[in-house]
Amino acid sequence: MTAIVIVRDLRKRYGDIEAVRGMSFDVLQGEIFGLLGPNGAGKTTTVEILEGLRKADGGDAIVDGIDVSKQPQRAKERVGVQLQQSAFPENFTAKETVDLFALCYGVTVDAMTLLKQVDLADKAGQRQEKLSGGQRQRLSIATALVNRPRVLFLDEPTTGLDPQARRNLWELVRGIRQSGTTVFLTTHYMDEAEVLCDRVAVMDHGQIIAMDPPRALISALLARGFSKPVIQQQATLEDVFLDLTGHELRED
Amino acid sequence: MYLRAYVRDRTAIFFSLVVPLMLLLIFGSLNLGAFGRVSLAIDDQADNAASRQFVAALEKIDTLSIKRESAETALAKLKRTELDMLVVLPKDFAIAPTRPGQQAPTLTIYGNASRPQQTSVGESIINEVVTRLSYAVNQTAPVINLKVEDVQGVRLRYVDFLVPGILGVNVMQLAVFSVAFALVVAKRRGVLRRIMATPLKPSVFLVSQVVTRLIMATVQVLIMLAVSVFLFDVHPLGGILPLLAVSLLGAVLFLTIGFALAGWAETENQVPAIAQLITLPQFFFSGVFFSKEAAPELIRPATNLLPLTFLNDALREISVQGATLWDVRMQLIGLLVWTAIGFVLAVRFFRFDRF
Repeated sequence: MTAIVIVRDLRKRYGDIEAVRGMSFDVLQGEIFGLLGPNGAGKTTTVEILEGLRKADGGDAIVDGIDVSKQPQRAKERVGVQLQQSAFPENFTAKETVDLFALCYGVTVDAMTLLKQVDLADKAGQRQEKLSGGQRQRLSIATALVNRPRVLFLDEPTTGLDPQARRNLWELVRGIRQSGTTVFLTTHYMDEAEVLCDRVAVMDHGQIIAMDPPRALISALLARGFSKPVIQQQATLEDVFLDLTGHELRED
Repeated sequence: MYLRAYVRDRTAIFFSLVVPLMLLLIFGSLNLGAFGRVSLAIDDQADNAASRQFVAALEKIDTLSIKRESAETALAKLKRTELDMLVVLPKDFAIAPTRPGQQAPTLTIYGNASRPQQTSVGESIINEVVTRLSYAVNQTAPVINLKVEDVQGVRLRYVDFLVPGILGVNVMQLAVFSVAFALVVAKRRGVLRRIMATPLKPSVFLVSQVVTRLIMATVQVLIMLAVSVFLFDVHPLGGILPLLAVSLLGAVLFLTIGFALAGWAETENQVPAIAQLITLPQFFFSGVFFSKEAAPELIRPATNLLPLTFLNDALREISVQGATLWDVRMQLIGLLVWTAIGFVLAVRFFRFDRF
């Protein structure tokens, strides 16, 4: 498979803090790639450079064959973006929000089809600020798909969502990948990375310290003689929670 | 430009249209509405030919609203500020020239000290009438009517004065507050970041913001003018279009200040403080509700240079004196200079790479 995102020796510093210190990695076409790391590891900075929102101090970032630092506008046309801690303009319905972003990309879309894709068709006429957290996250993905992106960037897409909404979003992401879009996501939830991502890169202090499919990383750890000090549980509290409250998405 | 529908903020529209209308209605219909009319009581104790002639001359003047009252009741009313002035014509009132040795009749005028403008207007009118009448008697020439017309030139209703001021101040409020608030909130909540993640050019975004505001300002100005014309019978002498044009120039000026403020402020809580700091002095010193001459002498050179002063002066000259755009070119130049200053500030503070 070919690489659709190529990052070479990427660097970014804010004053004295070196947020990104020489990152290099490839994201392959059609995969779900996860960038993992604790808060402050430099995940968001890396993603924002790839999205064309920040200028790198050094190194190359190439998305779908376009050098992001040289042609940020063209790169923006090729990618879909869901930002961490961002919001939509107020006083718009869900459908109007999708139409608005289509305008921003200079394209026309069938907003209803997109809303159907993210399971929000019945909320089309509702003000977006009245949507629940999970619904807004799905609306956010709908707006990120208006330009039929080659790569979809999701920055901590499930932070703050309840277990049902998280699982629903994972399904949505898998469906998007199925339709041919490469997905690049950041998360600090390891369970999310484990079930969702084809490959993950673990970063800390602005550098990648490991990169492989989740299973391979786990096997490698076990091969190094690691064993959990606690007895392996057959179920987690989350399993209990989902068993008690069901898998259906809560819409409120 | 295609983002014209971008801000469909219903609350903002409410505030930018309803509040100014309320201001206009309140101040327009308040007692202040009768600024130009001085309420005058006359106690004609002489009731002779001369006194009747004098009272008749006064009654011809529109600026005065005259009541016959006894000095006693009128004085009580004066104290309650229900009257502006009282004129007492003494029993020996006469307009004839005084013969040597004869004491001239004394006309007593009581003025309401709390309404100095009305009182001084009234005094000057009475003086004028007295002079004309005496002159007429001395020269036996009937110049009264002609001269009285002169006096009537003073007539300017408060609403006529008020409407351009309200227009100006609302253009300022709309431009500064709506932009600063909306954009700081958008900035802080990450709306701007999200929009900047699309290929939309920042310039297009800014133009759409400006155009949206200018459309709102146009609607606002037109509604205010319609209310002024139909409800308060104000007739802008210079025409509606020059007023609209000057208002929009003012809107652009204050928009640049709004953008600068939006760029500078970190949170929406800082906006009202700074916005008030910018707008409040202009509210009072730029001749909105009362003449800018009311500002203390010391700071008047400064208040004359305030952006809103230029805007209000231009609007008022067009509306009240029927000035053309060319007549108010000095004010327009002032506005343009301020626009340039605001533009520099806006570019300096409103930076997209900081969101």
